[in-house]
Amino acid sequence: MVESDEKTAIPQTLIEPIDMSRLDPKFRDEIRSMPDGDELTACFACSTCTAACPIANQWDYKPHQLVRMILLGMRNEVLSSREIWECLTCFQCQERCPQKVRVTDIFFDCKNLAAEGGKIPEKVALLAKELIEKGQLYVVTADWEREDLGLQASVPGLSVDYVRTALKDTRAGRIAGGGK
Amino acid sequence: MPTYNLYMGCSVPANYPNYEAAMLKVAEALGMELNYMEGVACCGSPNLRAIDYYGWLLVNARTLAIAEQNHHDIVTPCNGCFGSLKDVLYHLKHHKEDMERINASLKKDGLQLTGRVRVRHIVEAMYTDVGIDEIRKKITKPLDGVGISIHFGCHLLRPVDVTEFKPEILQQMVEVTGAKVVDYPLWKQCCGATVLPVNEPLAIRLARDKIKSMKEAGAQFATVVCPACGNQLDLQQLGLKQSYNETYDLPVLLYPQILGLAMGMSRDAMGLGMNRVAADSILDHLKG
Repeated sequence: MVESDEKTAIPQTLIEPIDMSRLDPKFRDEIRSMPDGDELTACFACSTCTAACPIANQWDYKPHQLVRMILLGMRNEVLSSREIWECLTCFQCQERCPQKVRVTDIFFDCKNLAAEGGKIPEKVALLAKELIEKGQLYVVTADWEREDLGLQASVPGLSVDYVRTALKDTRAGRIAGGGK
Repeated sequence: MPTYNLYMGCSVPANYPNYEAAMLKVAEALGMELNYMEGVACCGSPNLRAIDYYGWLLVNARTLAIAEQNHHDIVTPCNGCFGSLKDVLYHLKHHKEDMERINASLKKDGLQLTGRVRVRHIVEAMYTDVGIDEIRKKITKPLDGVGISIHFGCHLLRPVDVTEFKPEILQQMVEVTGAKVVDYPLWKQCCGATVLPVNEPLAIRLARDKIKSMKEAGAQFATVVCPACGNQLDLQQLGLKQSYNETYDLPVLLYPQILGLAMGMSRDAMGLGMNRVAADSILDHLKG
């Protein structure tokens, strides 16, 4: 390697200094108490999850940073981030984690907490509304195509009533109703 | 004749009736009795899991409990439904308190979930219960070694402790038809379907990357076992001319279409005319 006389640039900091007064020390316990959160604190920040993620290159917060932010108590930043909603749920991070942290599942927990606080992308909220109105995500429109193939025009056995009534009383119903 | 609880979900019947029809005809020819489950709800997909974990547990637990009224396994052709049902079952088996809470709610409908029901992807049920050797005996018009790339779909493969699916299953199921499986670098990558509601350009880029990777590896066709993945690789492919100024012409077959054709079933019976990227060229590769 040849030595250079040029001065190297100042290293880029990945994140701004953290304002400790804004941290929520209970956030890690909140996530740990949720489904699949048990292994959260086993993270040793190796960033294998980020190496496995097919879209981390276009995220401001990488998967391993999000996990670290949870551990640090950066509740607001994590739950307001676009990254948790863009997660593909492909489970590649989770599959490769050497510490068995259920990274993808934990991002699902984050989304649930964000939704509880009313922070939910418009189109996702719209999906919830449609699900409750129609009782299913996709509705048969081209029933002649089904009949051409010898299938019944409407889907045998599919009940739309249960989803409509059951989800009225859960969070999806509150989101669809416009309230929190 | 093995009998199954068929959970069709909402996406296959609405968007891919050709998948439904091909699967039913192939299963019947393989001696599998598939009975549509009665009174079951939509699984809600990962979207419901993201915003309402408890509601997602509830609607899927109910489907599982309905299946437990008889002693047959659940089979489904959709990775989204498969992932939801498997994940909910896994969670409830490992979390007694949640199981009790869910059962208290199911009791109102006279249902109870014990956790003994099994959830399986239709392809795995064909592979395990009928078996490759029996399937091979039914092949009357084998493919001529044409190259097919497999897109498995994330929720079929991962998390593996939940899904318990092995990629070799689908590889062997493609090979038994006489086709050659074409490996490609991005075989594990997501199709992008789940990110469509929040970032459509990203979803399209992911689909495009997959199709490109398959094509560059030499695939003449692709196959999927999920309507959402099918939508991304087949339907979205048509838009790539506009968004990327690229044309791939890579026909995407729902897996039972390939098996059915190799078993001597007709183009129309397999609904080949409904595939978005014209797929009739597969007929040129049938022998016998």
